[in-house]
Amino acid sequence: MQAFVDGLIARGAVPAGVPVWAVYLGAMLVFGGIVVFGFVLPIAGITTWVERRIMGRMQSRIGPNRTGPIGFLQWLADGIKNLLKEDIVPKAADAPLFKLAPYIVMTGFVGTFAALPFSSALIVADLNVGILYVTAVTALVVVGILMAGWASNNKWSLLGGVRSAAQIVSYEIPAGLSIFPIVLLTGSLSMQTIIARQGWAPWAWNLFENPFTFLAFFVFFISALAEGNRTPFDLPEAESELVAGFATEYSGMRNLLFFMAEWGNLYVIGAIATTLFLGGWRIPWALDDAPVLRAVLELATFFAKAYTVGVLLPIWLRWTLPRIRVDQMMTMCWKYLVPLAFVNLLGTAAWMVAFPAGVPAVRAALVVLVAGLALAFLWRVRFHVRNARLTRRHLSFNPLSTARVPW
Amino acid sequence: MGLGAYLRNIKDAVVTIADGLAVTASHMIRKPYTVEYPDRLPEGIRVQDTLPFRYRGMLEVDLEICTACLACERACPIDCIVIEATKDKAAGGLVMTRFDIDMAKCMYCGLCSEPCPTGAIHHTPEFEGADYSLESLVRRFVKAPVVAYKPKKTGEVDPAIKPILDRGLRYVSEFAKSEAGGDDA
Amino acid sequence: MSLAGFEVEVQREVDGALATEDMTLSMGPQHPSTHGVLRFVVRADGEVMKEAIPDIGYLHRSIEKIAEKVGWHGFIPYTDRVDYVAAMFCNHGWAMAVEKLAGIEVPRRAEYCRVIADELCRIHSHLLSVGSMAMDIGAFTPFTHAIREREYLNDLFEELCGARLTFHYMRIGGVGWDLPPGWAEKVRRFLDRFEPIIEEYDRLISYNKIYAERLANVAVITPEEAIDYNLVGPNLRGSGVRYDVRRDDPYSVYPELEFDVPVGRGEMGTVGDCFDRYIVRMREMQQSCRIIRQCLDRLPDGPVIAKVPRNLKPPPGDCYVRIESARGDMGWYVVSDGTAFPHRCKIRTGSFAAISIIPKVSRNLMIADLIAVIASLDLVAPEIDR
Repeated sequence: MQAFVDGLIARGAVPAGVPVWAVYLGAMLVFGGIVVFGFVLPIAGITTWVERRIMGRMQSRIGPNRTGPIGFLQWLADGIKNLLKEDIVPKAADAPLFKLAPYIVMTGFVGTFAALPFSSALIVADLNVGILYVTAVTALVVVGILMAGWASNNKWSLLGGVRSAAQIVSYEIPAGLSIFPIVLLTGSLSMQTIIARQGWAPWAWNLFENPFTFLAFFVFFISALAEGNRTPFDLPEAESELVAGFATEYSGMRNLLFFMAEWGNLYVIGAIATTLFLGGWRIPWALDDAPVLRAVLELATFFAKAYTVGVLLPIWLRWTLPRIRVDQMMTMCWKYLVPLAFVNLLGTAAWMVAFPAGVPAVRAALVVLVAGLALAFLWRVRFHVRNARLTRRHLSFNPLSTARVPW
Repeated sequence: MGLGAYLRNIKDAVVTIADGLAVTASHMIRKPYTVEYPDRLPEGIRVQDTLPFRYRGMLEVDLEICTACLACERACPIDCIVIEATKDKAAGGLVMTRFDIDMAKCMYCGLCSEPCPTGAIHHTPEFEGADYSLESLVRRFVKAPVVAYKPKKTGEVDPAIKPILDRGLRYVSEFAKSEAGGDDA
Repeated sequence: MSLAGFEVEVQREVDGALATEDMTLSMGPQHPSTHGVLRFVVRADGEVMKEAIPDIGYLHRSIEKIAEKVGWHGFIPYTDRVDYVAAMFCNHGWAMAVEKLAGIEVPRRAEYCRVIADELCRIHSHLLSVGSMAMDIGAFTPFTHAIREREYLNDLFEELCGARLTFHYMRIGGVGWDLPPGWAEKVRRFLDRFEPIIEEYDRLISYNKIYAERLANVAVITPEEAIDYNLVGPNLRGSGVRYDVRRDDPYSVYPELEFDVPVGRGEMGTVGDCFDRYIVRMREMQQSCRIIRQCLDRLPDGPVIAKVPRNLKPPPGDCYVRIESARGDMGWYVVSDGTAFPHRCKIRTGSFAAISIIPKVSRNLMIADLIAVIASLDLVAPEIDR
């Protein structure tokens, strides 16, 4: 983005006499606004629609399908409804902290978008500490949630807030530790550099580089789920236990800010996972002479990967798995994920020393392994369909189907 | 915890979670079970018509075949039926001036429809009874005083009444009859 | 401190320079996962509970008193509401009690119809129980699958007796309606469909590692404790005590039927933990399918109701009958004074005893575990409060 703004100044598009820092500031606000209102908020909203429709099919029902042709305007309707709701600030609540908490959570979430690489040219700021910045900013969410839990003056909210603080702070460790192998491999923290090291093909991704980065992906994914308060780690907002956890006392738009942050955070998880492990926006062709086409293809690739890994997979997990208990969550973090993350880190370092250029055979073996597991999984799905004695007339491969199953 | 148990924990977790994911994935390709009621039903179908004949929905009284025997009023455990009938020699029998059922009290048990000799009071498949005021839930079936029905020993021949009577008798015949017949519970 | 009449003793400790105090939470009458309108006053040290005291009475409707007002026949719809999740059993219990008092013999076909309705209702109730348990633990999908299966059962019950929840199917002396034509076929089709679904449910949630970890070794109730605290039904059998009223104190046509009585074996943890109680319910559903098939095969012909006067006046006396409801041994103690109205009716329900064990069992559990315990004991508030 900086190059773009410098280009604008050079071409004289900026009135004379305006200091450079003011131009940069203005550009940041404009680009930030475009990204937030044009991308982040719609993504968070549309993710709710996607989630509700997918969850509906998993539960043998249709999701929202009345507002708009396939229920697509449901999220807009929900947003408008929340705006129009009464804003209740409990009398005994700590009003300044109560009101500030959703904003801090949103800051922690929206701030990450400044460093996410949407394509080779579309990145707000290609920081040389990219991935470290992202990890640090997402940690702001803890502060916001703790504030929400405390300021609500509600014991249930307090429980939720404290649980969440414990959870997010604990899972920062394995998340960070599983980022380190990639940083070691790349030699840089910059997001674009990490992507540039990978290729477009699956076997050129960091995921299949060596078995340790393969495991690091799963450790990262689980830790990121925990940081995003998603089932099976949604204890802070455990609906059946704490009503809505730290967000119990929030109504209207304040509540919506919390949950937009949660759903949008899914995309951020996907984006980071894609950048680090899945080859980012790499496409097979160079397309230097068609920058627009290249930008579109790269954006589409990045979006598809980030959305699948970051949104669709967590939705699937959320509506399948039950919730973990607090002490089990801590056990899992400290006794399973952290040692595994350390093993990955040391293993990658050793691998880099032993095989500086990587081992193509291992890459191929890992790709074949994953393909085999995917086929085994599909076979198991077929087994379940046949075990439930379902025939062709009970099935529909149309995700938006409303045809009713025959009795 | 030994290393074996540790690794077994991880393996169990992965395998059972993957199986669960396979079950939900298999559900993704199944048709949903939702009946899109009420505005996206297939053409010409009302859900009320698909309900079985025995369905205990809102009560309905066919005054054409009501004999004013007051069996339903006596049977109702919650006293939601109020009937007023007086003997009127001039009209030729009992004349009903009031037949009110308070649907707000009714618990849809069916105890009123069992002892009815003609099936005049019966449950219908109608279940949409929500309204804005409690008073509107009292259904007053007698608009003007009406003479009670006298069942004919040789069977009903009046074409206006026969179908109603047939339906009523069919409704009552669904109830269990003891071997000896007669005065059943 | 006093909380709505409870004297909850809050402990204050001074640990070095830090004074700590227990937290008193009210898991109030409005809560997403207390099954019905229950309240628990929880005294907790952070997440770990010291005590969870139940507070009941929010759903008391004086049903036992109403019996004295509406008479023998008129009370049957009210028995539906005693435990609306498993209403057939309540109908059956009352009918059995009055038949015993009045010396009425129920025809064979009626007995078989009753057993079929009972066992279908057991499946109905257990589906709700395991579904809401899964939902309380955090998995929402198994709940919707259970409700989907319940919808099939609702359709079957609708055809049989006209209602989906408050059946009023049994009458004194038999049942209210004979099986409609074609219904037996529909039931068989449902069972063919349902048995693999139970297995699928098992794979989705029962043996899921996270679920098993949440339930294993939580709230272990030893067999002696279970008997001391009067637990019945799946709660008792989950603790390893093989006691089932259908086997040990049989009524109706159960002596002629073949079925197993599943018992908790400590599959995932210890015998008597939450998982055992849960898995006993799953296995009981499978046994119910077996029973229904046998009944449908053996259904005799004949009337489905005995001749009972509308103005029933049983001779003075009392009786106590027991029936194996979905929630365990449901006892009906009915006193007659020779008139058309009962003198007294007392209902002994399994949930009332089960809720009394919660203060004991919830010591040193976490709040999340309390939810699991409540769900595994299958408490329903209407049964507790009547």
